[in-house]
Amino acid sequence: MSVNYDQILEAIWETIYMTGAAFGFSLLIGFPLGIFLVVTRNGHLLENESVSNALNIVINIFRSIPFIILMVAIIPLTRLIVGTSIGTAAAIVPLVFYAGPYIARLIENSLLEVDKGVIEAAQAMGASPAQIIFRFLIPEALSSLVLALTIAVVGLIGASAMAGAIGGGGLGDLAITYGYQRFDTFIMVITVAILVVLVQGVQSFGNILSRRVRRS
Amino acid sequence: MIQFEGVAKIYQSGKQEIHALNGIDLTVETGEIYGVIGFSGAGKSSLIRTVNFLERPSKGRVLIHGKDISTLSSKEIRTIRKDIGMIFQHFNLLNSKTVFHNVAMPLLLAKTPKADIEKQVKDLLDFVGLADQAKKYPDQLSGGQKQRIGIARALATNPSVLLCDEATSALDPQTTKSILDLLKKINKEYNITILLITHEMGVIREICNKVAVLEDGKVIEQGTVFEVFSNPQQATTKRFVRSVMNDELPESLLAQIHEPHSDNTIFRLQFTGNSVGTPVMSRVSRDFNVDLNVLFGNITELQGVPYGNLIVEFSGELKEIERAITSIQDNNIHIEEVTHYVS
Repeated sequence: MSVNYDQILEAIWETIYMTGAAFGFSLLIGFPLGIFLVVTRNGHLLENESVSNALNIVINIFRSIPFIILMVAIIPLTRLIVGTSIGTAAAIVPLVFYAGPYIARLIENSLLEVDKGVIEAAQAMGASPAQIIFRFLIPEALSSLVLALTIAVVGLIGASAMAGAIGGGGLGDLAITYGYQRFDTFIMVITVAILVVLVQGVQSFGNILSRRVRRS
Repeated sequence: MIQFEGVAKIYQSGKQEIHALNGIDLTVETGEIYGVIGFSGAGKSSLIRTVNFLERPSKGRVLIHGKDISTLSSKEIRTIRKDIGMIFQHFNLLNSKTVFHNVAMPLLLAKTPKADIEKQVKDLLDFVGLADQAKKYPDQLSGGQKQRIGIARALATNPSVLLCDEATSALDPQTTKSILDLLKKINKEYNITILLITHEMGVIREICNKVAVLEDGKVIEQGTVFEVFSNPQQATTKRFVRSVMNDELPESLLAQIHEPHSDNTIFRLQFTGNSVGTPVMSRVSRDFNVDLNVLFGNITELQGVPYGNLIVEFSGELKEIERAITSIQDNNIHIEEVTHYVS
């Protein structure tokens, strides 16, 4: 039994769905975390050593667990949230746990690139911390933020393929079950090629968008 | 009016304490252009940042128009900051925003109605001479233009005080001059009190009324620019003054003066105001039997008053020289013997 056209299309859709949904949720968690990582730093807007330390420890813990282990380790939690540990929806939960802290770090890095002088100028103008974050920090870092998030999406595409290994569906699933376990080299090559095209597309889009938002 | 009362700033660096400011007492009167000069590490940046509380003084207080900032809540501090404009050495503009948006930023923060913003920003850009650049981005502008944007932005909230943090240090001499002229205009037209810090004595000479010299976190000398330039007391002050009014004699000339047979005496003459215009030297030479040899001379302007500095070698009979000196003093010219000074 060989793979048909529809199965490949469905796998592509599942990969995009997993990546997209996981990216959305990860962003919701990672973006505020990234901002807090920056502003609670020593000498920053809302300097707070204990919050900063706690955030760093938690994020480092999640960042140090390999995705394949994280996936298995949080199965009970996944069941609790989506009701099952198999399938595309179930794969999204570990993906969010994987990408959320990662995005937080990426955001932190981008925001730290903003010239300290700009923040000082904002303070001197009498801007409140929230105004500084939303009117100065984020707009100034936007171009770099877009590139950082592009990296996150590419990482998620890769991770979603790995989620296929535990029955998450998507291109990874297809490559493992047909390409690897049934020695179907053609399917293996096709899935890899599709992944390459996906990643190239995302990266190009990220590059263009980043250039677009450099000036707003 | 800005008053510093025993302001100290101590930074903790590991176990070490760094005393950036050691008890500063200064008063900047309303409408003045007050310059603080010092070498790097003297504490200038810390000092200027205590005014808008970007730096909290460790000790002492800073009063703005008589109000002690340290007693204010952070919200009140933000309000008072809108009354204190600040410009920076590296301009600190938003590179992602247009010139217009940069200048509009303080108004946006204050939630000014859009129509008012349009008008005010246009006026501000007109004032700083960049009305045609509104749609450009900062990285398309020269350093001088960026500083003009910085100035327009600082003036947007109609402040009564303007802080200038090494505002011309990243600019070439010609651009520096034009920015200083703009600051002068701001001071005159809006009666804005300006406190500036710099390491360039030329800046002080160009626009300040008063100057304080900062060293190791202490004010070692202060006064009107005229007093300090014409009669510096401390070694550091003298170095600064000399950096713009060089009165050191060339080596070769010194060697010539100090030849063994030479028994000539050397005097420094300081002319101020009207005395600059009188032909004292030629008259003295005619009236008394002395020969004058001008070794060095310059005339500059301090706060709109001409100020001249001459180093002159007198030769002739001692009695004649003494009479000549008395006559020079009668013309309100400060004269002192510097034979040993120049050696």
